[in-house]
Amino acid sequence: MATPLPPKDAEEFRTACQFCIVGCGYRVFKWPEGQDGGMGPDQNALGADFREQQPALGQWVPPLAHSVITEGGARKSVAIIPDDDCQVNSGLASVRGAGLAAALYRPDGPTKTRLTSPAIRAGKAFDAVSWNEASDLAARVIKAVIDRWGPDAVGMKFFDHGGGGGGFENNWAIGRFFFEGVRTSTCSIHNRPAYNSEVHAAGDAGLAPLTNAYVDAQLADTILIVGANPYETQTNYFLNHMVKNLSGESLGLKEGGFPGEEVAPGRMIILDPRRTMTVATAEAAGGTENVLHLQIEPGTDILVLNAIGRVILERNWHDIGFIRKHTEVQTWEAYQRSSLMREWPLDELVRQVAAEAGISPDQIEQAAEWIARPKAGGARRRTLMHYEKGLIWGIKNYENIASIAGLALMTGNLGKPGTGCSRLGGHQEAYVRPAPLGGRPARNIDEAVRRGETKVYWVGGCNPVLTTLRAESIAGAFETRGALVTDALAATKGKPVTERVIAVVEAMKQGGIFLIGQDIYPTATTERAHMVLPAATWGEINMTSINGERRLRLYPKFMEPPGEALADWAIVARVARQLHDLYQADNNPEMANRFLDFDWADDEAVFLDARKRNFTGGPGDPMEGFAGIDYDLLRRLGNNGIQTPVRLVNGRPVGTERLFEDGRFGTPSGKARFIPAPPPWPGYSAVVSRQREQHRFWINNGRSNHIWQTAYHHRYLEFYRERVPVPYLEMHPDDASAMGIEPGDLVEVFNDMGSVQAMAYPTDAVKRDHCFMLFGQPRGAAGDLISDHVDPDTTIPWYKGVWADIRRIGPVPELSRTVSFKPQNVAG
Amino acid sequence: MTDKTPKVSRRDILSIGAAAGLGAGLASLEPSPARAQTMPQTEVAKLADLAPGTALDFAYPDEDSPAILLAMGGPVEDGIGPNGNIVAFSTLCTHKGCPVGWQTDQQMLICPCHWSTFDPAKGGRMIIGQASQGLPQIVLKVEGDAVMATGVDGLIYGRQTNVL
Repeated sequence: MATPLPPKDAEEFRTACQFCIVGCGYRVFKWPEGQDGGMGPDQNALGADFREQQPALGQWVPPLAHSVITEGGARKSVAIIPDDDCQVNSGLASVRGAGLAAALYRPDGPTKTRLTSPAIRAGKAFDAVSWNEASDLAARVIKAVIDRWGPDAVGMKFFDHGGGGGGFENNWAIGRFFFEGVRTSTCSIHNRPAYNSEVHAAGDAGLAPLTNAYVDAQLADTILIVGANPYETQTNYFLNHMVKNLSGESLGLKEGGFPGEEVAPGRMIILDPRRTMTVATAEAAGGTENVLHLQIEPGTDILVLNAIGRVILERNWHDIGFIRKHTEVQTWEAYQRSSLMREWPLDELVRQVAAEAGISPDQIEQAAEWIARPKAGGARRRTLMHYEKGLIWGIKNYENIASIAGLALMTGNLGKPGTGCSRLGGHQEAYVRPAPLGGRPARNIDEAVRRGETKVYWVGGCNPVLTTLRAESIAGAFETRGALVTDALAATKGKPVTERVIAVVEAMKQGGIFLIGQDIYPTATTERAHMVLPAATWGEINMTSINGERRLRLYPKFMEPPGEALADWAIVARVARQLHDLYQADNNPEMANRFLDFDWADDEAVFLDARKRNFTGGPGDPMEGFAGIDYDLLRRLGNNGIQTPVRLVNGRPVGTERLFEDGRFGTPSGKARFIPAPPPWPGYSAVVSRQREQHRFWINNGRSNHIWQTAYHHRYLEFYRERVPVPYLEMHPDDASAMGIEPGDLVEVFNDMGSVQAMAYPTDAVKRDHCFMLFGQPRGAAGDLISDHVDPDTTIPWYKGVWADIRRIGPVPELSRTVSFKPQNVAG
Repeated sequence: MTDKTPKVSRRDILSIGAAAGLGAGLASLEPSPARAQTMPQTEVAKLADLAPGTALDFAYPDEDSPAILLAMGGPVEDGIGPNGNIVAFSTLCTHKGCPVGWQTDQQMLICPCHWSTFDPAKGGRMIIGQASQGLPQIVLKVEGDAVMATGVDGLIYGRQTNVL
């Protein structure tokens, strides 16, 4: 076995990973196949001596880091290895990034299933068509729908993020098309049924989703993690920054940064119903005495956070100077009464909250102490607060986020080294769009799709059949409503496009829906579509994104997209130009003008258009602002990039390491706001209460270390796929054995919403009566079990609020053969 | 945090790595040894010494490639011997090359640097962690009363080919 080494003259590109929010730096080498580098240090581009064993943390090209692509008929080797010089990951790969090369398109390899040509449905199959034909039909159908039913009959569901499936360029073009061109309010993003922030409360409080720098995790006295599992899903932020703090490796950095202040290895508090690998590895790095795991019952995080706040208030550990200077003080009054339940006796409150949450009162006291008790010498404790889907997709999105924002504000943990209050994030970010139509709370457009109000639905880089709520019902709507349009297309095959559009509109009058699926691979959604549009992705186009500390970088193109695939921005631009021409021909200049200026020459032109239209370089720019930045500057900044928002100081771009160091928060007054939550806690909605009464098990669900999103790449790559052939279901070993369930048995999970199959993975990571199921796996959609309950204030679902029953199906050795059922939370 | 924790700590490893990096730079000045064209056939242990529960350190295919021989409690994937319970793996973690340690309680191999864990009963597959392949499995055969190492399935960390 051998992997080829890049020769000294290999082409080299520096880029950031396409997967998680951390955005680790990688080096991409490309060279003609067979003209490999030699083993001597002066014979390969890594400068390493492969005649010797490489030391730990040395250079290496593991097999999944190498691939062979085809470029203009020539075969090229590509190696992608982590970048030692990138501050984000310092040469570490995660299990996902380590396989970046393996995920590249190759026509003779596992990724050959990529979509390569636009296609239009012909009965059960698809006909490949030209881009002209596809964009003409798409534009004519959209125009017919707008003209007959109005713009809201055009539905959209698109990514809005950064990294592989996103980028500022794509987001800007898609936003302009739907919000300035079509002007529909029937819009949604990702897996959720609406177009909405997941952290409205953080915005209303004057914070932003991503406030800190990653180095703050090395500087903090305490790191609070709520509803997140960073070893698995923000891996190298955890390993390269948080772990260095827990182990004491960053003590020197603290001593240098905070002279005269007591410093010690960091502590970590983790609120999570599961004992995850994050808990185990934090304990291995810092010692059990420095890690506090609050293994809470579902939905009780808001109770616990507010009880911790209350203890801090009673002990007088809050930062009254910060509160007076930086917050709207009347909101602090309301917050103490409401969220912190000031009128309740403290002991009684802490006791009741602990009982409800399934933890001990002492743990609440200890958390308060670790977060806010001043250090020896009187210095304030620096606490970095992080949260993700456990809190966001929790019992009441708005107040959940308000509770952690309030905790950060009352303890003054913003705008200083070692502090912050941020999402940990899932995907990278790159939001820049015209204001969406609709307002708050955002409309649940799944209802419009089910009911028939949506006549054409353009889904890009999302797979609602797997990931939305009550997913079976959406798949059903696509099939039932879609069949009418499928018949219309079959009946008019080969006819002029005008006739086909008339037939499609007739089908729509009968309840039909025209589904456009734009993606990089076939998905459960594109398989049900009438038109499939192949998109280019990471490495195939130039794109820009920010990571979880707002680090903006250029992700350069280093290979051609497969077949006819185009950047998402270029696809919507084609349809926009066609709509412009159709409306011109219709003598409708008003509508034609909405689709003007979609003639960008290249990706940088889209980037600069977004910059010009959105950012001034002044203090009013949002978190993503990149005034003064162009591709040339980003090329020169390489994998360390520049942290947004970028301000223009004397005309020169200056990055922002952490937010709020200027003491200015994102409200009209410039002061932050506490958002009170009604006491004592939101409780269960009627829909969820009914599920809890009828079904025994709580089906917590979420992501894992080694499967990215819906496994859209990883389902094709054996190393990843063989570990999760079907979604796994963690359940307590005692529950499993009482039901006769063995590791690897297939089980059916079912409730009033639907049913799904999963593979039993007994583990003491979960408490009895709790389960954890992998979300968004192509062979089993947890979404089928999720009720359509959403937070009425934000339309964010409680994805994790699922109760169901479990039935054993039995062993399936051919599926479980490659899966290890040893515990995934042991670190020593 | 029990006595089963691998004896080398994370911080020890990181400093070992840095020092070894320097050493490798110096070593590269020397001419490279002649390459072995085939995998060596090396006796690793006597069958009689491999009671279930035995863990034995050895090196294969050369002194710079540490490995571990495990006699598991029962038959395992690709296990050899009369009970199909004997397997061996490279102990250089396929993430960043730190030495994985044998954790008897859970019967898994654990890397002390970034905590990738591997299952010897499943061909060295990663249980969880940041590596992109399982631990390379040392191919074994029984010859008379001896267990012989005859090859490596998978690429050893830090090498372009398994034989330097």
